[in-house]
Amino acid sequence: MNSLWTITKWMMREKKDIVLSIFFGYVAGIAAVALFAASGYLVSRAGLVPPLYALMVPVVLIKLFGVVRASARYQERLASHRATFTILSELRVRFYRQLEPLVPSIFAKYRSGDLLARVVGDVESLQNYFLRVFYPPIILVLVFLSTIFFVTYFSVWVSVWILFGVFVTGFLIPAFFARVRAKHDRELRTLRGDLSSGMTEMMYGYRDLLLHHQLGRTRGELLEQSDRYAEAQKRDVTNQFFNSSLVVAASLLVSWGVLAIGAYLVVDGELNGLFLAMLIMMSLTAFENATPMAVFPGHFADSKQAADRLFEVIEPSEAIVMAESSRTDVVLETAPDVSFERVIYRYPDTFRDVLSDVDVTLRNGSKTVIVGPSGSGKSTLLQLLLAFVRPDSGEVRLGGHRVDDVTQASVWRHASVVLQENHFFFGTMRENLALAGDFSDNEMDAALASVRLGFSLDEPVLEKGANLSGGERQRLAIARALLKNGLLWILDEATSALDARTEADVFEEIFRQADEATLVMVSHRLTGLERFDHIIVMEGGRIVETGSYDELMQARGVFYGLKQIEQDIFA
Amino acid sequence: MKRLQALALAEKRHIVGLVIAAVMIGLSILAQAYLIVDIVDQVFLKNASFESIVPTLGWLIFALVTRALFGYMSGRIGASLSEKAKRSLRLQLLDRYTSNPIETSLSGQSGKKVSVFMDAVDEVDAYFSQYWPQVIQTSIIPLLILVVVFSQHWISGVIMMVTAPFIPIFFIIIGIATQKKSEEQMEKMNQFSGKFLDVLQGLTTLKLYGRTEREAEAIEKSSLDFRDATMVVLKTAFLSGLMLEFISMLSTGVVALEVALQMVVWENLTFFSGFLILVLAPEYYLAIKDLGGAFHTGRGSMGAADRIFEALDAPDERLQWGDRTLMSRTPELELAEVSFAYEGGRFTLYPLSGVIPAGAHVALVGASGSGKTTILNVLSGLVKPDSGRVLVDGDPLETYTDSSWYDTIGYISQNPYLFAGTVADNIALGETADEASILEAATAAGLTDVIDQLPNGIHTELGEGGYGLSGGERQRLALARAFLKRPGIILFDEPTTGLDLVTEQIVRRSIDELSRDATLVTVAHRLHTIKQADAIWFVDEGRLIAQGTHDDLLSVPQYADLFTLQKGVRG
Repeated sequence: MNSLWTITKWMMREKKDIVLSIFFGYVAGIAAVALFAASGYLVSRAGLVPPLYALMVPVVLIKLFGVVRASARYQERLASHRATFTILSELRVRFYRQLEPLVPSIFAKYRSGDLLARVVGDVESLQNYFLRVFYPPIILVLVFLSTIFFVTYFSVWVSVWILFGVFVTGFLIPAFFARVRAKHDRELRTLRGDLSSGMTEMMYGYRDLLLHHQLGRTRGELLEQSDRYAEAQKRDVTNQFFNSSLVVAASLLVSWGVLAIGAYLVVDGELNGLFLAMLIMMSLTAFENATPMAVFPGHFADSKQAADRLFEVIEPSEAIVMAESSRTDVVLETAPDVSFERVIYRYPDTFRDVLSDVDVTLRNGSKTVIVGPSGSGKSTLLQLLLAFVRPDSGEVRLGGHRVDDVTQASVWRHASVVLQENHFFFGTMRENLALAGDFSDNEMDAALASVRLGFSLDEPVLEKGANLSGGERQRLAIARALLKNGLLWILDEATSALDARTEADVFEEIFRQADEATLVMVSHRLTGLERFDHIIVMEGGRIVETGSYDELMQARGVFYGLKQIEQDIFA
Repeated sequence: MKRLQALALAEKRHIVGLVIAAVMIGLSILAQAYLIVDIVDQVFLKNASFESIVPTLGWLIFALVTRALFGYMSGRIGASLSEKAKRSLRLQLLDRYTSNPIETSLSGQSGKKVSVFMDAVDEVDAYFSQYWPQVIQTSIIPLLILVVVFSQHWISGVIMMVTAPFIPIFFIIIGIATQKKSEEQMEKMNQFSGKFLDVLQGLTTLKLYGRTEREAEAIEKSSLDFRDATMVVLKTAFLSGLMLEFISMLSTGVVALEVALQMVVWENLTFFSGFLILVLAPEYYLAIKDLGGAFHTGRGSMGAADRIFEALDAPDERLQWGDRTLMSRTPELELAEVSFAYEGGRFTLYPLSGVIPAGAHVALVGASGSGKTTILNVLSGLVKPDSGRVLVDGDPLETYTDSSWYDTIGYISQNPYLFAGTVADNIALGETADEASILEAATAAGLTDVIDQLPNGIHTELGEGGYGLSGGERQRLALARAFLKRPGIILFDEPTTGLDLVTEQIVRRSIDELSRDATLVTVAHRLHTIKQADAIWFVDEGRLIAQGTHDDLLSVPQYADLFTLQKGVRG
């Protein structure tokens, strides 16, 4: 309940549209009840064959209520949808703020790239919370309270009976089915996940399955899963129909009770027969407001789950903010030296250390390249240096400060960073370069020229830089880093998509710009490493060799061996 | 739409069930109205005693319960119809996908296919579970009501009959109008709604450049812009709701007025008939309005149905196998004028001929994208050539049984797929093998040190939700599979990038060992491999240009280029 309560609190900032939705919803509901009450009264009155003028008032009322109802319903829908989208905006900003401190360390825990898509989807699904969970019950209660209040004037017994009916149809049945629904939802989610991953596995592992005669068996298993899933869906849908039919049956029975009690009272002389038709029409209409409550359990369960999942993701946020606030900002005047002292690191929920016992010092202003096969821990070394993740044991030092003691933001302020995946936003070249700070068009043009990109600053950039090639994206990221001109340069396979000639040119520029700075780079290629002061060779999370290019080639060790393999590879 | 309809109509029993349920719902609505009106009439105008109406009250309960019960039945049948349809669609899709997804996975379409299999099939649910029951109810219930109204008072019947068509007509007119408008807004809306995900994905970059706060405002702005763009569309949609409400309200009002006038002025209508018509009128319009909603959900399923049938209509490219058992372990292989083109003309393998004698070691050499892997796929029978034949010991491949053929070949790809399951499962891949022989195969592939690190050794769960392995380790796992199977023909896709030194050695040694008494066809990326091969097939842009040894081929200019081109040096 807690998570939805928080959402409700956040939501309440949008009071105006919420109040309007409830107001118009109430007017629409009550106008419908009044409309049918009036028509019930009209026909009864007409049954007594009165003079025509006696019918004028109910006739006018019927028209009036009809117009009021339709208009109020229209206004309600407008207001409630406006409110929903405004709330959505509020939720997005809130979750963005909470998620921000978690990035990028969260990607060590949830390495699947779909975490963000899931967060977006969950926030999106919370838009139903207001529209289908929060305010319909409020309107239900208000309309019924008014109806019951009105009915009390004619008969206390009938109004007590209606109250009882509301309790059953509006609360008892939905509350019961909300629990059933949550169980079904979990089951469906699991079955769907199984089927989907089974299918994915079949598609990607097709060749191996085929060659090992496993395709038939896999197909059989998938069919069985598909059937189980379809059956569970059927059970769930049937159950929902059962739920809504039960609500319908209950509300019809309540109206039956109104009729029975009313009829008894009329026979007894305690109620004027003139009002019997009106009461029964009112009851039938009022309970139409209870039918939306049939979908309440489903939306409630969905909202609850979405909110729970979101709060689970952002839960560590506060602790991280706390931890960061206890750290101090590092201020660097000159290029820092970097050292790793017996550093051990393991990603959460994995079975082996990705770095074990890493011990190395890089003096200030030096240029270092880290090489080694994939999975050897190269990138993790950079992540520790950038305080993306903190070591399990040992220490990382930057310019004499323990990285553990300084804030992430202050480290990044000094760093020019190009990662394997760099993000570009929907907009123009200029906007994407402007992330690095306020620069004149001339400076930006110069940065683009130095990475050999001939774009104009007004060139559009699509989401994630989708209209750029891999090499163009890497060069744009480098241009951004050049503009920033940090004292610490961190490059993670920053030029892997460039051809040899462009790569050499771009490196020329980087080395010129970063002349004073400390530079650490990860490379998967072994060519062009002669210019670096240090080469660090990693394998299986350990540093197996360090030295200059000439030293390592003469030593004829691991680097030499890797170099031989690379020369052997030709295409 | 037609094919979905055929799928629904094929389930005759379900359709008949839906019709029966609809008739019963209609009859119980009539009975309910009749009985309510009768009771009111009795006690209000005929001064009947309460005892005399008790049986009628009993019948009324029966009618109400019947109505709810058949409402539920109708939903149940719809759910079952939808279950059947979804199962059958998934079965057909699975059959398509198990026949030739090699091309699919090559062209990176696996994700799309999985989405058709999961999402698109789920999306057609509404068509069967909601659209059909509603269509059947709407075509029956209003008719039943009309018949009764006509029997009571034909003028009211005429009014209802004339006004009813306005509802669907308005639906259509407004639908067309809004569609145009929403298409105009759609692009805008997509742009705004993508912003949140875009920013979340770029959060690391934003933090590195200290720009997070500005983006919070951007999220808010784009969310509110999204709201305003959406409200424009919704406003017209809701306006149509308003118009419909007015039509049904107005029509009900006209009926009520007419009834009242008939009763009072001309006195040719009884209270009973008047009240009955008044109770039935809203039920009549409600049923017609519901059809509009159902039509909307039905239309939503159409896009999904198109995607499904597009997948099912794709040409069937599966190889038809014969019934002969391949006896030889290392047969002679021959490609006779084999050609193959990928869908959409992305790549074409031109007619190609060549012989691979039993036990020969052939290296396929060429630039990336030249067709080497396609040759492996054709050779292995994973794709069906467009023309020409693959001959095995002189006979066409398709005269043999698929199982005896697949028994003889092993395929070691660059990136072997890890299935969810234990290490042992992944090595055995369904072959019945005892633990000792699995361990032996693992040892031969140099996996022992990896297995020793795993918490449960060979019984550790891998794949999704389990532990991951590095690229080099996966390659060794694929080798272990081959050691267990000991195929007579080995197809090997050599890694394009350097693995760690240990794996490089293991791979080289293992391939030597495996191919000692087997035919080996390698997509070669290493000079070492080429020099060892008995014959080299040099492929360029889908054509086999030359065959021979490395030294023979150096006289071919394109071949020689391949070896000098890569020597471009960084810096």
